[in-house]
Amino acid sequence: MSRLSIRGVGKTFAGVNGGTPTQALLPVSLEVEDNAFITILGLSGCGKSTLLRLVAGLEEPSIGEILLDGTAVAGPGADRGVVFQSYTLFPWLNVRQNICFGLRQKGMAAAQQREISEHFIAEIGLRGFEEHFPKQLSGGMQQRVAIARALANDPKILLLDEPFGALDNQTRVLMQELLLGIWERDRKTVLFVTHDIEEAIFMASRVVVFTRRPGRIKSEVPVDLPHPRHYTIKTAPEFVALKARLTEEIRAESLAAAAA
Amino acid sequence: MSRRPGLFVPVPRGQRIGLGIAFFVLFVTMWWLLTASGAVPPQFLASPPQTLAAAWELFAKFNFGHDVGMTIWRVVGGFLLAAAIAVPLGIAMGAWKPVEAFFEPFVSFARYLPASAFVPLLILWVGIGESQKLAVIFLGCFFQLTLMIAMIVSGTRRDLVEAAYTLGSTQGGIVRHVLLPGAAPEIAEALRQVLGLGWTYIIVAELIGASSGIGHMITDSQALMATENIISGIVVIGLVGLVTDLLFKHANRKLFAWSYL
Repeated sequence: MSRLSIRGVGKTFAGVNGGTPTQALLPVSLEVEDNAFITILGLSGCGKSTLLRLVAGLEEPSIGEILLDGTAVAGPGADRGVVFQSYTLFPWLNVRQNICFGLRQKGMAAAQQREISEHFIAEIGLRGFEEHFPKQLSGGMQQRVAIARALANDPKILLLDEPFGALDNQTRVLMQELLLGIWERDRKTVLFVTHDIEEAIFMASRVVVFTRRPGRIKSEVPVDLPHPRHYTIKTAPEFVALKARLTEEIRAESLAAAAA
Repeated sequence: MSRRPGLFVPVPRGQRIGLGIAFFVLFVTMWWLLTASGAVPPQFLASPPQTLAAAWELFAKFNFGHDVGMTIWRVVGGFLLAAAIAVPLGIAMGAWKPVEAFFEPFVSFARYLPASAFVPLLILWVGIGESQKLAVIFLGCFFQLTLMIAMIVSGTRRDLVEAAYTLGSTQGGIVRHVLLPGAAPEIAEALRQVLGLGWTYIIVAELIGASSGIGHMITDSQALMATENIISGIVVIGLVGLVTDLLFKHANRKLFAWSYL
């Protein structure tokens, strides 16, 4: 059982060269129940990625605390897997070695590493690419390996920071289905940051909408669409209604941001 | 009709080698013309056949092979000593900023001290034996190499380091499994370049107080006004340098195939 508890967490970045500090994130509180797929939806620069980095332990909160299963987060660790927007596969390792990276850091036996990597290579549909280096893969393939690399570590929670943001629209949709499929089978707790409304609804059990910068939580919208979800659900009336509602909420924020 | 070659368009392998050899041929032809026409008197510049004959004689009669061997061992020895300390120090400087803050200003200062200016002092300190030659090469290579490696390691992609942390790496694990393998191809490239630098210092070290080596032969030949010997020596250095460079390049491409994809 893993439960993420974000309690009054805010972040202010010190000014560069004595300049004015930047308030990236106003104190926010969020409870993420076990096995939930939470998407965080917001405009660019609203602090949603900052929140993810705080949960990952890559930044320290200026205020508040983050608890994972009751233990305070202090620095990054293997219990929180991260998939970044930029391609962060290790270029000197092939697909299999990348997936095994975390396992190797744990000192796991080679045979067991192999078994786990086989499973995830199959899961992301990259059989036959085990020996390929990242440079020989497309962007979508690289992000699939990045997801497998994070999952191979068996983290309590998977954190994704606009992982499909740099992909073309068609690949992006396929990746969403792939990730959702993995979640429907394995039921990991997932925190997924995006600025794409359709993406946010399609995969989520709950959408958390952020305000413009400095960000705070504007609303939480449960998504009660049935699983397994097929891409055709995007034309279902419930989906369309949710999309209309979230479009309004986000539009209000972008108008306010433009006026500011 | 062939199109004009564009920017950065690679040349086929055969053509590339051909072009490389073509300039050598052109260079030697110019040299030959300059001497054969009498434009430059032979006591200033020996002709290519004279040089070739001199080289043959040096190797056959005067055991020049031994001199070449000595010079190579001095360069490689001094270079390896420098690398043995510069590589770990440079990595530590690149990875830990306090270490960098401590060493970097001094190393930057020392880098500008000409190694050749230390020859008289080194003779005083360690005599005219092999340690003096090794010390010159060491001084010439060490500071340069340390700074280059520190800079390479500093340039490690931060997102890869962050990814490793989220995969459970410790600091030591990141140095061993991210910084080192990521920087290795560039470090190897820096080593290749600095080895070339070593060759430029060795002759200076051998010009004074040596009883063997290519530099020693050159000093001897200067006294005899034997320009054909001097040029033979210079050409041999160039050839040895070229061969080691090619071997180094080849090894780097084999070892770090991923970075040449």
